[in-house]
Amino acid sequence: MSPPILSVRGLTKKFGGLTAVNNIDFDLPAGELHAIIGPNGAGKTTFFNVVSGFLRPSGGRVSFNGEDITGWATHRISRLGMARTLQIKSVFNGLSVYDNVWIAAHARNRFLHPLRPARAYADTAAVVERSLEAVGLAGRSHELAGNLAHGDVALLEIAIAIAMRPRLLLLDEPVAGMSPEETERTVLKIKELSASINILLIEHDVEAVFKIAERITVMTQGAVLCQGTAQSIAADARVQEAYLGVPVVAGSAHA
Amino acid sequence: MKIAGAVVAAFLLIAPWLLPKFVPEFWVSILAEIMIWGLLASSANLLLGYTGLLSFGQSLYFGFGAYGVAFGITRFGLGVLPSFFLAVAIATLAAAIAGFFAVRLTWHYFAIITVVFSLIFYLVAVGWKSLTGGDDGLSFALPPIAKLGNLELTLLDPTFQYFFILAVVGACYLLQWLVLRSPLGVAFTAVRENATRAGLVGLNPYLIRLTSFVIAGFLAGVAGALFALFSRYASAQYMYWTVSGEAVIWTIVGGAGTLFGPAIGAALLILVREELSGYWEHYLILVGILVLLVVSFAPKGIVGSLQARRAARQ
Repeated sequence: MSPPILSVRGLTKKFGGLTAVNNIDFDLPAGELHAIIGPNGAGKTTFFNVVSGFLRPSGGRVSFNGEDITGWATHRISRLGMARTLQIKSVFNGLSVYDNVWIAAHARNRFLHPLRPARAYADTAAVVERSLEAVGLAGRSHELAGNLAHGDVALLEIAIAIAMRPRLLLLDEPVAGMSPEETERTVLKIKELSASINILLIEHDVEAVFKIAERITVMTQGAVLCQGTAQSIAADARVQEAYLGVPVVAGSAHA
Repeated sequence: MKIAGAVVAAFLLIAPWLLPKFVPEFWVSILAEIMIWGLLASSANLLLGYTGLLSFGQSLYFGFGAYGVAFGITRFGLGVLPSFFLAVAIATLAAAIAGFFAVRLTWHYFAIITVVFSLIFYLVAVGWKSLTGGDDGLSFALPPIAKLGNLELTLLDPTFQYFFILAVVGACYLLQWLVLRSPLGVAFTAVRENATRAGLVGLNPYLIRLTSFVIAGFLAGVAGALFALFSRYASAQYMYWTVSGEAVIWTIVGGAGTLFGPAIGAALLILVREELSGYWEHYLILVGILVLLVVSFAPKGIVGSLQARRAARQ
């Protein structure tokens, strides 16, 4: 088996007296579409925030692609090949759809030329075209991102992530707030993308997760409850208990 | 828009001969002064309109530019051009040092620290009278720029001075135009729109803000150096934060985030001042009303609103 693309050891994040993420060990093998599910307040987003550099961990290590990235700033982690979307969709509202993706495609060039026209970079332009096509926004490149409908903003955010040509894509609730049609469209896109990019996603929509994820990790109260394939997770009594909040009677669990 | 730009450019090129046919000759000087203040406004605009940083401290670098020229000529006995380059270098360096601390902060914290820096140096300049002349300022006599046989190039010739200012200001706009359409310019707007997302795509928001701050300091420094050459005088009063505030107001009235909006705002409000201040000492009331109207009904400013209307028609 190839070494894990993301490896987390003893990761802990405390906010005052609250332990949001508690001593998590987690490995993401390369080439996997993996989902993290769990009830509200399980620490999923905090886990993402620590992994992607938004928050400094209180303890533990994160290594990505063989490099220890614990405590790095977000832009350094991004340059190493980790892209992420946010739970509250976050794009450059005042810029065109095209420029949103352009800056993401170009940012890997550490030197930002101060005098050469941005439009003169044919290689960046090609990446932008490809990324917009991949999410189906190619015809709308001149619209202002702030004028897009919610579902299209989510797709734009994914296009931004693709344009970075990441090794790992973290998706934080990619289908939250979407209509059933938008959800279906987005789930398809994510599945397509997972052929070429490692994807780790958080999702509340358990139905959507079971449709796309190869393996699932369940988190509760800041810790990993269990890990496995969709079928094994669906059948796990502890998962049902975590979601429903009722202890499952021994007899019925083994029925 | 292109036609309007060509008309303005043509007007600026023939103004020293055209204006005296209709108005007293000193209007050529007023036009030159407007160009200088417009450049200071575009310094505030690079930060506010393109990078999303509200600075009330651009007068500090304007002041460094002005004093740089005055010191160069009076203390070091340098010529006009060496003093000018020295002044711009000092202002840019000062912006780099102040920016190193200031751009760690954003929004009101950033605005406050820019005021604080500016106040510190203002108080030093006012207090250190032997060096700076304090509120009275430092006057100096202009040496000629160059002698070519019998022909003497000197800023004391109003027409030559006008074209010298026009050329320098024009070069600064060319520089801004180039920067704003470059990858760096796109990065400025990305940081303005969403610094978190900018970090997530791999941009370093701190470095990008610092770069913008240094370029803005350079522009303000050029404006200050030109102003000292224009008025043969440097004074602490131009370092006061209200001068920076005016630059922000010109920017907002003309259109933050547009290349020429700030200069147009500066032109409009300076004309109001020139025309009204002689008759009516409370003319600032009118300026206040004008600013309120723009902010309420055309928050994109004059040029920004015109551009939005044109975009809507297409």
